[in-house]
Amino acid sequence: MKIIVHKDKCQGHARCWAMAPNIFDLDDEGYIMDGDIDVSEADEKLAWRGAKSCPERALEIVK
Amino acid sequence: METFAAHPVPAHVPPDMIGDFSLFTSPGMAPTPNGDPQAASAVVHGGPPIFYSPVNTRDGRGTWVITRAQDQRRVLQDPESFSSHRSIFASALGESWPMIPLELDPPEHGKFRSLLNPLLSPKRVMALETAVRERSAFLIDRIAAAGTSCDVMKDFAFPFAVNIFLRFLGLPDDRLDEFVGWANDLFHGDNAKRPAAARKIIAFIDDLAAQRRAQSVDDFMSFLVQSKIDDRPLTDAEIRGTGVLLFVAGLDTVAAAIGFDLNYLARHVDDQRLLRGDPSRIVLAAEELLRAYPTVQMIRVATKDVDFEGAPIRKGDYVSCATMIANRDPAEFDHPERIDLAREDNRHTAFAYGPHRCLGSHLARREIVVALEEWLKRIPDFRIKEGTAPVTYGGHVFGIENLILDWS
Repeated sequence: MKIIVHKDKCQGHARCWAMAPNIFDLDDEGYIMDGDIDVSEADEKLAWRGAKSCPERALEIVK
Repeated sequence: METFAAHPVPAHVPPDMIGDFSLFTSPGMAPTPNGDPQAASAVVHGGPPIFYSPVNTRDGRGTWVITRAQDQRRVLQDPESFSSHRSIFASALGESWPMIPLELDPPEHGKFRSLLNPLLSPKRVMALETAVRERSAFLIDRIAAAGTSCDVMKDFAFPFAVNIFLRFLGLPDDRLDEFVGWANDLFHGDNAKRPAAARKIIAFIDDLAAQRRAQSVDDFMSFLVQSKIDDRPLTDAEIRGTGVLLFVAGLDTVAAAIGFDLNYLARHVDDQRLLRGDPSRIVLAAEELLRAYPTVQMIRVATKDVDFEGAPIRKGDYVSCATMIANRDPAEFDHPERIDLAREDNRHTAFAYGPHRCLGSHLARREIVVALEEWLKRIPDFRIKEGTAPVTYGGHVFGIENLILDWS
């Protein structure tokens, strides 16, 4: 599973980070780091919940 | 309620798009004993995605009302078409400077956000947690020692929120009562009290900036007076605009959220017990309470003509994106009327969408979670004190007063 990060849509809610701090990394301003995220099989459920928690729809899940 | 002359409905608004709903005048919005104004606002979901409300601001102006969460996202994510420069605070004084960064539009907005974001980032807020927890524990211990009943807003929510604000500014607690008074007059005072409070707040911010310019310490205002945007120091007006926003945004909102949350829990003892029995549920529960009881109505001004879902929005029109309306949208939430403290799929908009997402959201969340944790740890099953009734109201910022809880 892969998560495509639409950095331009991130507004720093940090809901993904609250859900899974080890998967979603934030910069010093509290916004998501640029770059798509490869998710290991063990992390899939947590990553899915993190991506689905984004109020701006900035995180797109690709199977 | 204040009286005002209603503005006429603009000629471009089709008569069949005028709705009879207002966050100021509809049932449940005026001060109401035992009211539930957030639930009352959900009535709009029986109607169209957008309509025109002829009287939907404090000064009697009409606004378009966006009812669907998906459409509010579109509006709030598009600051080029929907500006937030309204001079909300300054207009109370007949002036027109912006609160910063809220009332700036891109690209200026982004420069100030980048300056301020690190001060209120999720990681920075973690460092404030100990102080937040100590303060709430202190206040609740004092309440518990004094008896088996209290006025939540006066004895806890306001002194708590104001203390955290003062601490953020690096100021001692000795002027706390004065601040609470200003906040009260500013948000809930009449047409004489509001501007008077606004002037006192401005004088306070200006004075503090002058002091920190003269001698810098490790606090927010010292940071601000030493900061640069585009390689130049901030102007006095920018420092004032930023300080004022911190005051306006950080006090009443957090206090009101705590009030609404404890009001809900007082009426749902089972939920109190659920959270008391397993405090690890409080973080998730706080999100559901933010969904169910958000307090802010966002208003934007159209910068150009936009046809929106069949509605002819014209340049200069006000567009209301009320958080409590989006948060009860059945297209976004299963059974939005049901308050489920274990709700997981919960992309609520209590802190808005788009670039103006509440700068203080991470601190506000921590304040609410910690307040609930410490309260439930120290206060046994509580309810609304018999013979009393909290008074709720709608408006730009929803609120609750006279919340007397009893655990005798």
